[in-house]
Amino acid sequence: MKTTVPIIAAFLSGFVMLLAFFFNPETSALGKLEPEVLSWVTIVGGFTLLLGVVSIVRVNYSSVKRKSSGWGYKLATLISIFAMAIPAIVPVRWSSLFGTGTGSIYDWLFNYIDSPMMSTMFAMLAFYIASAAFRAFRARSAEATLLLVTATLVMLWRVPMGEAFLSGIHPDIPDLINTYIMNGANMAVQRGIIIGAALGAAAMSLRIMLGIERTYMGK
Amino acid sequence: MTILLIFAYIFLILIGALLLYMTFKTDDRRYIYLAVGFYVIFPVIVTLKLPIMLSPEVKQLYDAVEALPDSSTVMLTFDYYPSTLAETEPMSHAALHHLFRKNCKVVTMTTIPLGGPSIAERVTRELAEEYNKVYGIDFVNLGYKANYVAVLKGMGTSIETIYPTDNSGTPLSEIPMMKDIENYGDIDFIFVVADNSIVDYWISIVNAQYNNPVGTGLTAVMAPRYFAYIGSGQMTGMLGGMKGAAEYETLLQKPAAANMGMTSQSLVHLFIIFSVIAGNIIFFMGKKGKSRKSA
Amino acid sequence: MTFQQFSLSNDVRNLASASRLGIFPIILLTILIFLIPAFSFAQADSDPSANSYFRADRINALIAMVLFSVVILIYTRWAKAGKDLFIRKINGLDEVEEAVGRATEMGRPVLFVPGIGEIDEIETIAGVSILGRVARITARYETPLLVPVRYPMVLAAGQEVVQQAYIEEGKADSYDKDIVRYVAGEQFAFTATVNGFMMRERPATNIYMGAFFAESLLLAETGNAAGSIQIAGTAQPAQLPFFIAACDYTLMGEELYAASAYLSREPLLLGGLKGQDWMKVLIIILIFLGIMLVSAGVSDWYLSMFESV
Repeated sequence: MKTTVPIIAAFLSGFVMLLAFFFNPETSALGKLEPEVLSWVTIVGGFTLLLGVVSIVRVNYSSVKRKSSGWGYKLATLISIFAMAIPAIVPVRWSSLFGTGTGSIYDWLFNYIDSPMMSTMFAMLAFYIASAAFRAFRARSAEATLLLVTATLVMLWRVPMGEAFLSGIHPDIPDLINTYIMNGANMAVQRGIIIGAALGAAAMSLRIMLGIERTYMGK
Repeated sequence: MTILLIFAYIFLILIGALLLYMTFKTDDRRYIYLAVGFYVIFPVIVTLKLPIMLSPEVKQLYDAVEALPDSSTVMLTFDYYPSTLAETEPMSHAALHHLFRKNCKVVTMTTIPLGGPSIAERVTRELAEEYNKVYGIDFVNLGYKANYVAVLKGMGTSIETIYPTDNSGTPLSEIPMMKDIENYGDIDFIFVVADNSIVDYWISIVNAQYNNPVGTGLTAVMAPRYFAYIGSGQMTGMLGGMKGAAEYETLLQKPAAANMGMTSQSLVHLFIIFSVIAGNIIFFMGKKGKSRKSA
Repeated sequence: MTFQQFSLSNDVRNLASASRLGIFPIILLTILIFLIPAFSFAQADSDPSANSYFRADRINALIAMVLFSVVILIYTRWAKAGKDLFIRKINGLDEVEEAVGRATEMGRPVLFVPGIGEIDEIETIAGVSILGRVARITARYETPLLVPVRYPMVLAAGQEVVQQAYIEEGKADSYDKDIVRYVAGEQFAFTATVNGFMMRERPATNIYMGAFFAESLLLAETGNAAGSIQIAGTAQPAQLPFFIAACDYTLMGEELYAASAYLSREPLLLGGLKGQDWMKVLIIILIFLGIMLVSAGVSDWYLSMFESV
C-alpha cells in the first residue's frame, strides 16, 4: 500500500501531463490540464514551505540551546529569518514599513543586505576559478594538453588584451577561435551532451511513471 | 604617460610573480586570491583604455535592433538576480540606450521575483531621465508574475490577461502606450537579458511558437551553450558576459561600466594563464627531478 | 554516457524471440496511442492545428516518444527475462563505497548535496535516488551523513528516502530526522551555509548529485580546500568544467541518470539504459542522413519532419 499508491499517483500525474502536451489547450479539457496541474504543484510547494521553516528552526535552535560549535552563526540565522519574515507578513495597512513594497523594512533589508551579499558570493567565483585552474590545469596527457591549450586560447580571446595579443600574431586568429572552437567544437559537444542528457531524463521519467524506478522512494 | 604605463605593467607582472611564488612556497591558495583581488582593484585606480574587437553575435544583435523602424515596440526583460548585476546590468543599460535613442516603445518585465522588478524600475527610470522619456508613453514596466511558463505562453494571447496592472498597480487599460499592444503580435523584437535557463523558454515558446525575433544578453558562463541557437537561427544575436556588453557599448559609442570592467577582466585572465603556465613548468620540473632520482 | 557494447546480431535474435517474452501488450499499447491522433483528426475541422483537440503540429514528438517508450520497454522486458546486459564502468560511482569507507575510518561525516533544483526536476529525482544508495552505505557503516537541501519538497522526499535506507539496513535507531535538513531557499545563502559546514566539520567525503548552477565551483573548491574526496554529477553542461576541475570524479550528463541503475545493478533498471543507447544510435543515423540530404540540397521535406513545436 505504501508503495502502490505513490506509484499510481506518479503514473497518473505523469501520464496526464504527457497527454496534455499533445492536446490543444484552447479546445480540449485535456490540454487545459497542463497549467492546472502546474498550479497544483505551486500550491503543494507553498504548503511544504512550512516544513522547511520547521526544519531550519529546529536544527538551528537545538544547536544554540546546546551551545555546539558555531552556535553564534546559528543564532544569527534564526534572527535573520524572523527579521526578514515578520515585517513582510505584518499587514501593510498598519504601516508602509511592513509588507514587501518599496520603502518597507523587507525591501530595505533585501536591497542593502541580501542583494550585496548575493553579489559577493557570486563574485567569489573569480577567486575560486583562479585557484581551481592553477591546480587542475596540468598537461598530464594528450587530452589534458588539448584542454589546456583550448582554455588558454578562449580566455585570451574573451578579453581585449588577449584579443590584441592574438591579432598581433595573426589578425584572423580571433575569428578562427570564434568559428572553430566556439561555433564548431563547443557547439557540437554541447549538443551531444544535451541530447544524451535529454534521453537520460526521458528514460528516467518513463521508468518513474511505470514504477520501474522506485529508488526515489527509498526502494 | 607611456613610461608610466610601462612602469605600471612591470609593477603588475612583479606583483603577480611574487604572489605566485608565495603560493608555490607555502602551498596556500590565498595568495592567488590576493593576486586576483589586486588585479580587479588596480584598474579602478589606474584607468587603461583598451580597444574592443567586435564578435559576430554582438554585431548581429546590434544590427537587428538598428534595423527596427523608429518607434517600434520592443520587449526588454530583466530576468536576472541581483547576484549577477555586474555582468547583466551593463547589458540592460546598453540595450536601453539603443532603444531610447531609436525612440522605440519599451515594455519591460521580469520572471525573477527577488529583485527583478526593482532592478527593472531603477534602470529604466535612470535611462528614461537621460533621454527625456515619459512613463506610460515611451516605456512601461510590467513587473513580475509567478509561473513563468504560463506567463510566457499567456502573453501570446493577451498581455493584459497576464498583467492586468503594471508594476506600480496602474491598470494597463489606463496606460496610453499599452492601448496598441495586445500580445506578441504587436511586439517587434524581444531583448532578453538573463542569468538563468529562462532563455530556453523565450526561444522554445516565444520564438518557436509566435515567431518573434529574440536577442539575448547572457552571463559569460551561459554563453557557450547558446551558440547552438544562433547557429539554428532561433536566436538573433547574443551578448556573452561583460565582454559582450562592452562590445555593444562600443557599437553604440557609449563606453560605460562594461568597458571599464574589461581591464580588470583582462588582467585576471592573463594572471590565470600565467599561473597555469607556471604551474605546468613546475609540474614538469618536478616530474623530471623524480625520474632522475629513480634512475 | 552509457556506451554499451552493441551486439546487433544478438539484438535481432532477441527481437525474433520477443513474442515469447510477452511483447504483445507493448505493441498493442503503441497502436492504441497512435489511434489517439487518428481519433482527433476524425473530429478536426479543415485546419487541424487551429481547431482540433489534438496538436497535429506535435505529431513528430508523439512518434519519437512512442518509439522511445517501446524500445525502453522491450529492453526492460528482456532484462526481466534474465538477459545479461553489459554496462560500462563508471569510475565515480565505483568510488562511492570507498569514499564512504574513508569517512568511516577518519571518523568524519559524509556530505551529500542533491543539487539546488526543485523536486519536479528529473535531475533532482536522480540525485535523491542516489542519496538512497549512499544512505544505505552510511547506515551500514554508521557514518554520520548530512544532506542540506534548498527546497522543502526535496526535504520531504530526502527524509523519506534516508529513513527507508536506515530501516532496510536494520539501523532504524540510528536515523535522525535532521540528517536531511532545509538550509535556505536562496541560492547563495544555501551555498554559504554548506561551505561553512565544510570548513567547520571538514567532511571526509562530499557527494554532489543533481542540478547545479553558479554555486558548483564555490562548493567544489571549498570542499577541495577542506581536503575532502569529492564526487559530483550533473546534467548541466555549463557546470561540468567546474566540477571536473575541482572534484576527484565527475558524472557527466546521462551518467547521472544511469547512476541508480548502476549502483543497484537491478536488471529492470539496466534494461532502460540499453534502450536509451539504441535511441542514441537512431539519432546519430538521423543526423548523418540529414547531413547527406542537406548537402544534396533535397532536405526540405526531411527538415520539416523535425520542425520545432
